[in-house]
Amino acid sequence: MVDWGLAMKGGKKNPLNRRILREIRDEWVRYLLIALFLILTVGFVSGMYVANDSMLTSADEGVEEYSREDGHFILGAEAGSTLLDDIANFDSSNNKADGTVVYADFFKNCTEDNNGDGTDDGDIRIYEKNDNIDKASVLEGRLPETENEIAIDRMHADNVGLGVGDSISAGGTEYQIVGLISYVNYYSLHEKTSDFMFDALKFDVAMVTSDGFVRLDEPVQYNYAWKYGEEPSSDSEAKDLSQDFLDNLNTCAAENGINMLDYVPAYANPAIRFATDDMGADKAIGGVLLNVLVVIIAFIFLITTSSTIEKESRVIGTLLASGYTKRELVFHYMAINMIVTIVSLVIGIILGYTVLEDSVVSMYYNSYSLPTYHTVWSSEALVKTMLIPLIIVFFVNLIGISWKMNHSPLQFLRHNLKNSHRQHAIKLPDWKFFRRFRVRVMLQNLPNYGVLFVGILFVMVLLALAVGLPETLDQYKANASDLMIAPYQYMLTTDDIPQEIQTQAEDDNAEEFSVLTLERPDSKHVENVTVYGLQDDSAYVEINGLGSLEDNHVYISADYAEKYRVAPGDEITLKDKYSSDSYTFTVDGTYGEASGIDVFMSQKTFGDVFKDNSNRLSGFFSDTELDIPSSLVASTITEADITKMCDQLDHSMGGYMRYFQVLCILLSAALIFLLTKVIIDKNERPISMTKIFGYTDREISSLYLIPTTVCVVISAVICAFIGTGITDMLWRQMMLEFSGWFTFAINSTEIIEIILSVLVGYAIVLFLDFGRIKHIKMDQALKDVE
Amino acid sequence: MSGNAPSKNESSENRQPKNKPFLVVKDLCKSYGTGDAKQNVLRGLSFSVAQGEICVLLGPSGSGKSTLLNIIGGIDQGDSGSVLFDGHNLTDMNTAELGRYRRKELGYVFQTYNLIGNLTGKENVEVGAYLSDSPLDLEELINTLGLSEHKGKLPGQLSGGQQQRVSIGRAIIKNPRLLLCDEPTGALDYETSKEILQLIQDVNQKYGTTILMVTHNEAIKHMANHVIKLRDGKVRTETFNPEPIQASELEW
Repeated sequence: MVDWGLAMKGGKKNPLNRRILREIRDEWVRYLLIALFLILTVGFVSGMYVANDSMLTSADEGVEEYSREDGHFILGAEAGSTLLDDIANFDSSNNKADGTVVYADFFKNCTEDNNGDGTDDGDIRIYEKNDNIDKASVLEGRLPETENEIAIDRMHADNVGLGVGDSISAGGTEYQIVGLISYVNYYSLHEKTSDFMFDALKFDVAMVTSDGFVRLDEPVQYNYAWKYGEEPSSDSEAKDLSQDFLDNLNTCAAENGINMLDYVPAYANPAIRFATDDMGADKAIGGVLLNVLVVIIAFIFLITTSSTIEKESRVIGTLLASGYTKRELVFHYMAINMIVTIVSLVIGIILGYTVLEDSVVSMYYNSYSLPTYHTVWSSEALVKTMLIPLIIVFFVNLIGISWKMNHSPLQFLRHNLKNSHRQHAIKLPDWKFFRRFRVRVMLQNLPNYGVLFVGILFVMVLLALAVGLPETLDQYKANASDLMIAPYQYMLTTDDIPQEIQTQAEDDNAEEFSVLTLERPDSKHVENVTVYGLQDDSAYVEINGLGSLEDNHVYISADYAEKYRVAPGDEITLKDKYSSDSYTFTVDGTYGEASGIDVFMSQKTFGDVFKDNSNRLSGFFSDTELDIPSSLVASTITEADITKMCDQLDHSMGGYMRYFQVLCILLSAALIFLLTKVIIDKNERPISMTKIFGYTDREISSLYLIPTTVCVVISAVICAFIGTGITDMLWRQMMLEFSGWFTFAINSTEIIEIILSVLVGYAIVLFLDFGRIKHIKMDQALKDVE
Repeated sequence: MSGNAPSKNESSENRQPKNKPFLVVKDLCKSYGTGDAKQNVLRGLSFSVAQGEICVLLGPSGSGKSTLLNIIGGIDQGDSGSVLFDGHNLTDMNTAELGRYRRKELGYVFQTYNLIGNLTGKENVEVGAYLSDSPLDLEELINTLGLSEHKGKLPGQLSGGQQQRVSIGRAIIKNPRLLLCDEPTGALDYETSKEILQLIQDVNQKYGTTILMVTHNEAIKHMANHVIKLRDGKVRTETFNPEPIQASELEW
């Protein structure tokens, strides 16, 4: 008896491997489509990883290279060197506090006229050039050297069409632009920490020399930035250090009788964090989208291969009967899928590291004021865009094909590959023959339709975003005026309003309010909550019975209620920004006509609750512009402030959305094409046979294409609603990472639009499928007859 | 060359073969279904085949001949009884052992050729060669099969007879000790059938391969050394043919 142990093949090539290239050549449309999907997605996502990692590395390096602050605060008056030393010498259990230095980093807020027409185009924050803290990298030109020169933010310059050599007017003072820069503490142009979105269109930061700084008439903002002896290693460490620093700062400022107007640690500063956080979020979203697409592709591979296995059932039976093992055949049938995947991933990654990286970089440079960067090798990109997709395709195919191959040789030889034990066909009602035939086709292809459903759902989520985002922005902008508490809302720098200002405001029918910014402690990020103390009979915020609410009972804005799912009767706890004090309120109701995360209470309650809080301020609601000295105004909120984030979002992303929509339609069409191809390929012989029987192409197409059409239409309608729901959920999760809130809006017309988008894509596929059926020859039925 | 085949001088029709049997089927039973639907396909069937024989299993449809071949081929299992191949009981083997048995010892030829559509005739034969540590010479076999001019063609470009030649090549290139043929001429015309049968006979004579062939064509028995007729799952007659004729001389 011979040894039946399996001898090693010793380098012998499996002749079955010769089929692989021929199979790819024969089905090149299918594999090309799949490869294109993978190449583009992997290319874009790996490009995103590489670009993000490279830019994040540059951003990290900038912390030291450009001495980025660990935080800043603004005082009501200039602090002497002794006071600064006292502030820097704070007590902390963390030894990173040792060696902390506080630097002056003064700026002036001015209006900007960037086209010389004499009207204000936005605001510009001009810093005095210094060599110690928050320095800038130069992307073009140089830093200012004379009093008439200015370097402005590169992003803003691009947005408004300014360049080196142009002139701008800041607060009426002319400067010549000599450089385009990126400040290390302004990677995104957030004017205020409470801004939901940066505004690179109407807000600018700039640098002038000390002499140039003197030329500006606006009041100096006594901004001080500090840097710890050693960089905090985590947000929680930064928070602890910041709290210790703040406690000491409060004491020092109080002892010296100086007001503190603002306090922003770096970890809570969106101008520093937003861009890098956004890049991190983009990577996460890109990774998820890639994985979902790879899972869909893995299932398309699996369905295609399963169909091939069914078609080659008798060959497989013969090979198994001849001694081939199931393992050999499983790997043989996986080979094409793995080869196409590997080749696509490799090409995608090469493109990602070269061409597409530049596209991603320009996308980010179109939104953020980032410094120059150099490409760094990203092992994360390799793992997430190569290894994980490879593992997904490998295991989906391994499990699926092994399951499909889990039949005896005899079952393969008899073409008996049903995994269910059902021996008889499902009994159908006594419908007409054509209808029963179509239902049979549908039942035969249920797994295909399952994958089709998931694929359409994936596309619908993307389409809902592509269509919904512009609509959300438009709707928000259209309602902006309704969401304003008043056409003009002035936040003053003090709670003690001078009498003459108060009298003038009353003459102008303005309404005084008290205000304090608190934080919501359990937010994923630092959510600023504006607490208003209103007059009982406020004409601007009309809440019945506000003055008669019980102690500590408040109203909240509808945005607050929606974002954090707070209902009347619930309690909310808010924390003071500058101390460890916290306040708990009971919510009595919501007020819908305000945008923002706000809390409303009577001025009396406000006075009682915050009587010991030195950071409370006052302000005015007014229908007309008030004449208040700029030194007293901390900020003014107008409709433009509300809509600027929409303008910025529209500018950054709006243009891409239409392309994105077209891409989604192509994606859905390609997915449907791949899956219907499997259905038609699988039925080539029956189709051929029905042609021999005398059925017309039209009749045959109606038999095989109507079931798919029905499934596509039903899937599109169901998935449009589920996809919109998922997008809304994702939107909510995304918004929880940001300050403020706005509701994802997509109306029924747009839902119909996204359904029609998919159906338009399908119409093209239908046309191609009709052609495919038409081209199946009658002798096909007689070929390979077994 | 007939190697271990019975000598033509031994003339008795019911004489046992001189060679030691290396395939022994004993009391083999097989049924399908349960209860009222139970169908007994093999009912205690016994016979043996000697090495180098051409053994033909004859019988009408439903007599159990294909089931018997499948059990001997290790792709189906009996309910009771035993099948001994070279002393090893197939009924005791697990799936992996049966797989190794098929890989090393068996060649399979079916009525349907079951060729791989996108491999040429020669490459289809190589699919069988891959399984063997000592395959036959490929070119020589291609010549023997009469496929020299067609080896580069895809199955779709070959006639039925040529495809069956390829499938025989695929089965025997690994030099199996037992070649199982299930209705190898069932889909072929008269002339082509005779050519294929002649080829099978040539293989037996040239390589000494034992052949077990299932057919319902009575005429084929004349080319066999050993003829077993089945009916209702039992051996009805078992005869030994001392002077098998050449397949090319068969008539039906």
